[in-house]
Amino acid sequence: MSLMKEFTKGFWELLPPFRLVLGLCPTLAVTTSAENGLGMGLATAFVLACSNMLISALRKIIPSKVRIAAFIVVVATFVVVVELTMQAYFYALYVKLGIFIPLIVVNCIPLGRAEAFASSNGVLASGADGLGIGLGFAISLFALGTIREIFGAGAFFGAHVMWSSYEPMGFLLKAPGAFVCLGLMLAAINTISARQAKRKLEAARLAAAQA
Amino acid sequence: MKEIAKLVVVLALICGISGFVLAYVKDLTAGPIEYAKIKNVKEPAVHSVLSGYDNDPIKDRVSFPVGNDKYGRPVSLVVFPAKKDGKTYAVAFEASGVGYKGPIGVMVGVDVNDNKLTGISVVSHSETPGLGARILESGFTEPFRGQDLSKDLTKDNIQALSGATLSTNGVVAAVNAARETLAKYRDKMVN
Repeated sequence: MSLMKEFTKGFWELLPPFRLVLGLCPTLAVTTSAENGLGMGLATAFVLACSNMLISALRKIIPSKVRIAAFIVVVATFVVVVELTMQAYFYALYVKLGIFIPLIVVNCIPLGRAEAFASSNGVLASGADGLGIGLGFAISLFALGTIREIFGAGAFFGAHVMWSSYEPMGFLLKAPGAFVCLGLMLAAINTISARQAKRKLEAARLAAAQA
Repeated sequence: MKEIAKLVVVLALICGISGFVLAYVKDLTAGPIEYAKIKNVKEPAVHSVLSGYDNDPIKDRVSFPVGNDKYGRPVSLVVFPAKKDGKTYAVAFEASGVGYKGPIGVMVGVDVNDNKLTGISVVSHSETPGLGARILESGFTEPFRGQDLSKDLTKDNIQALSGATLSTNGVVAAVNAARETLAKYRDKMVN
């Protein structure tokens, strides 16, 4: 039950990058298409799940004074594994994501989860946390990439989806367009959760009045 | 003192294990990465300079050492043979010449029976966009097809780019370098 909770919190409660507002650099840079966003998100999810589990397993051995250095080494190891694998089997994606794959090392999410969660929780819980947050990140990047690709290039996974007279908004594929999209999505998510909180509050008040 | 020792040992161990893992993964992926690079970077060029083969030039590639670079490391040349009924009739390989802003890498396809170019394709360059970079256009590369490689090529044989003499010369130099390479290693390329 609690494992499930650790897993699912990454999809809404802590959904990166909207809730954690971490890892914005790759979010803004690589989400020019749905494919890039998904690739980057899945690479991050893999690194996050693996590094979280290993760090959790080593949490009693790693002295707290050198923990950050140890975390970084662990994260960097998995990132290089992902980079080499991607280069060997998904070369086209590797070329497109380029420098942002090695930069997962300094992405705040793996280090943040290691510090905030894995260093004080069990291996299974940490794995669930890492996988959940990572998949949440992948979904966010995929959604952002889809919106930017559909409206910015009139395509989805490289295939044309908009009507022929549609004039693509090239602006959305540039960095400022990424900020605008991110802001709009953040606003939408905040609106939904504000409404949810209000409903919850009213339900509580109603229950109190009845009792 | 004891604490410092512990910090050092733990961190060193983690880094050491990480190093071993990475070396192992690097070893494991070296083959697939080389294949992926050739497949994605070289294959389009090879396809554009060779035609009419019934084999896979990428899979049948042969490489052999051709001397050392300026640091003394061995350099090998990769040759993509085009075969018909098991017999090599043309080869493609990379040669380079100096352009306006640095080396220009050209994939050169040569028919080994009559020594004529079957096509060229620029695979790497750093020429000026809009000027020298026009060496990528088919209007420039097409006249190379069918040129005789028994003697040195000059830019009178082809359609030189106006305003990009040095880039043109670079490509011509690369083709002439390919001519010398072919003359020197013909036996190794065609077997």
